[in-house]
Amino acid sequence: MPMGHTATAQAGSGGLTATEHRLANGLRVVLSEDHLTPVAAVCLWYDVGSRHEVKGRTGLAHLFEHLMFQGSAQVKGNGHFELVQGAGGSLNGTTSFERTNYFETMPAHQLELALWLEADRMGSLLAALDDESMENQRDVVKNERRQRYDNVPYGTAFEKLTALAYPEGHPYHHTPIGSMADLDAATLEDARAFFRTYYAPNNAVLSVVGDIDPEQTLAWIEKYFGSIPSHDGKQPPRDGSLPDVMGEQLREVVEEEVPARALMAAYRLPEDGTRACDAADLALTVLGGGESSRLYNRLVRRDRTAVAAGFGLLRLAGAPSLGWLDVKTSGDVEVPVIETAIDEELARFAEEGPTAEEMERAQAQLEREWLDRLGTVAGRADELCRYAVLFGDPQLALTAVQRVLEVTAEEVQEVAKARLRPDNRAVLVYEPTAPADETDADQTDATDENDEEAAK
Amino acid sequence: MTELATMDFHPQPQAGEPKPWAFPAPERGSLDNGLTVLRCHRPGQQVVAVEVLLDAPLDAEPAGLDGVATIMARAFSEGTDKHSAEEFAAELERCGATLDAVADHPGVRLSLEVPASRLAKALGLLADALRAPAFADGEVERLVRNRLDEIPHELANPARRAAKELSKELFPADSRMSRPRQGTEETVANIDSAAVRTFYEKHVRPATATAVVVGDLTGLDLDALLGDTLGAWTGSAAEPRPVPPVIADDRGRVVIVDRPGAVQTQLLIGRTGPDRHDRVWPAQVLGTYCLGGTLTSRLDRVLREEKGYTYGVRAFGQVLRSAPDGTGAAMLAISGSVDTPNTGPALEDLWTVLRTLAEGGLTDAERDVAVQNLVGVAPLKYETAAAVAGTLADQVEQHLPDDYQAALYRQLAATGTVEATAAVVSAFPVDRLVTVLVGDAAQIKAPVEALGIGEVTVVAAE
Repeated sequence: MPMGHTATAQAGSGGLTATEHRLANGLRVVLSEDHLTPVAAVCLWYDVGSRHEVKGRTGLAHLFEHLMFQGSAQVKGNGHFELVQGAGGSLNGTTSFERTNYFETMPAHQLELALWLEADRMGSLLAALDDESMENQRDVVKNERRQRYDNVPYGTAFEKLTALAYPEGHPYHHTPIGSMADLDAATLEDARAFFRTYYAPNNAVLSVVGDIDPEQTLAWIEKYFGSIPSHDGKQPPRDGSLPDVMGEQLREVVEEEVPARALMAAYRLPEDGTRACDAADLALTVLGGGESSRLYNRLVRRDRTAVAAGFGLLRLAGAPSLGWLDVKTSGDVEVPVIETAIDEELARFAEEGPTAEEMERAQAQLEREWLDRLGTVAGRADELCRYAVLFGDPQLALTAVQRVLEVTAEEVQEVAKARLRPDNRAVLVYEPTAPADETDADQTDATDENDEEAAK
Repeated sequence: MTELATMDFHPQPQAGEPKPWAFPAPERGSLDNGLTVLRCHRPGQQVVAVEVLLDAPLDAEPAGLDGVATIMARAFSEGTDKHSAEEFAAELERCGATLDAVADHPGVRLSLEVPASRLAKALGLLADALRAPAFADGEVERLVRNRLDEIPHELANPARRAAKELSKELFPADSRMSRPRQGTEETVANIDSAAVRTFYEKHVRPATATAVVVGDLTGLDLDALLGDTLGAWTGSAAEPRPVPPVIADDRGRVVIVDRPGAVQTQLLIGRTGPDRHDRVWPAQVLGTYCLGGTLTSRLDRVLREEKGYTYGVRAFGQVLRSAPDGTGAAMLAISGSVDTPNTGPALEDLWTVLRTLAEGGLTDAERDVAVQNLVGVAPLKYETAAAVAGTLADQVEQHLPDDYQAALYRQLAATGTVEATAAVVSAFPVDRLVTVLVGDAAQIKAPVEALGIGEVTVVAAE
């Protein structure tokens, strides 16, 4: 595609630059200056996620992330939250399949505090970690699981589909929230071992973005993080590679108390960081992103068989990505009606490829999403860490949108033809049941397919 | 191996010199057609945000047609005199734009976000939607059916189900506020394109509307742009609609919406109170933050960080509708969810937190941290154009001056512990709170009754 429809000359990077540094203990540092607003974002990615967990300890990476807010050698109790918020900052941490991130956005003059806090827990968490925190946060996380997954309609769909899409024993077979049984089974010693294994400066990337003096910032980072010893206890995660296609359609029917029938599916797609993944992103946007997409036009506007229909992409670097289809049916419409229409649309798309107009729309949508992400210092800091941790090069964050704009219609068609096929998907069908009796306290319900767990 | 780390420790650093920041002041003007325009240049913000406020409040909906404002709002993006519904959606997305439209008690609000380089085209589409919406029979019929399909999904969501029940409890049955904003199955089914057009013709006109434009406006001739787009929208003159007072019954009582088998109980505990026109607002914001603004506030310090009953409980004040004469109101509420077996103990603790606060008041340290947070986060919170535009639009919608938010930060900084305590205690009096619990009545009713926080009734989840 020509680049004629880019929104800015720099197509999303907005003239931003980033510099890279490495401390002697292996901590990688990325700095990016932007003096438009007096704020600074600190983002720390640890190269550990739920894919590193072992059988019987699902949810440990996320539970551990909560424990990181329970104090360290020089920070008492909830001091991390109190100090950041008291300084006019905002903060949180999240856990996904592939990484755990912690972030503070501060008024620029409070940047040093955030660095001090992150260093204190990277170097000395175990000085404060005790049974009381462990028991308390175990209960909090179980309530998080209930609130976000178990107590809302379709809430466990993501967990079910992931388990179908990645085979038993695969590192992505389970989601970051983990199971109730495993959360119950985790011990304080598990948490300590997890910290000793994964929370090392040489297993992390720190980015600082915003109204900063790079020289001073680097000096503070050296001062606070420089003496934290590195260690090499970490084993690489289990291999996540799988054949390009599933080879058969996997299927599960869930009978539950939900408001309407639903058809959800996960297609196996190329790994993040590849041009084919960007092509898949465009294919899913043409097919199911927004209200001018093929599936929306077909199912919601024309056939009127669905309340909502859309595609999303879960980008993964260490295993195939997932193309995520979610359709809630209208009225009494049966699932096969929807499924036939989807198969027709996907087959037609594979045969014809996207039109020039569809490419233009999809690229414009993805470009705006990138502008949004890079439009805040926190978003930029997170993307710099992402590319540094997953792909070894933070600079790739600043050119990501260009790569999406360079993908051709032929490449989009190619990935659709190869991957968006019935024999390359896991399907989850919801059939509503009558309201439950009061016996079944373990009924599974809930909403969004969020792959992140947050501490706050 | 010792658990004491081997790193070098340093004392907690002191803050540097704060850099000045102020909530941006918009430039106010109007177009020849009477449309009020607020604009604000935000360097570096490549995605421009445009908010359009229409004086089409929910209480203007005709009897039996609750939801017509919502259907109208949605129908704005379903075709114009130039484009069919599908074409309109495609053209917007071709600009890389998003357009949302929401109908609420104060009026209808359209929110456009688009890269600055394509603002002209997107503003043209927005203007077409306002000036000449198609409201085609088939499209409106589809939106109505779609809305009817959404309702069961909302009722199955514990948080939304709780909100619906609280409105029904608090407000008199003949008040629009007592009923769902987007209508019920009965009322939505009555809506057709004629009803939408009638509502539009009666309530939508540039003379009573405001547009807010925020973003990096470098190199844009915004006057010409607006003149060519929103300037082409015409309509008769009209006086702003009178705003009816908000009346609420906050006698302490408990309603359980029965959801057998639920593993958690959704809590929504609320009443109404002063809005931003009241002098108490800054103190109320401050006190409410201390009560339940974050996980280190009083409620979560006990319910989450000590007891582990919840993922988080928040207290908040949210303006429902304001009037120029100050007779508006805000919803003051506490919400969250707790596991089913601990519902009784969690509510008991929650009431203890409220009573302790009323008896002992806030500490100076709590007040200081709250001020530092609420004032300090402003530059972070208002980094994007959309955030600034949203607040500027809120101010207009609530009949506040354009420098309200800037002044609020100064007032917060000047509010003392005693005022913040008084405000939060009068915002959340223990005997004047309506408690809605969406959960398993068979398991939670008896423990809740034992607390003595008001008469307990049980209703079906439907």
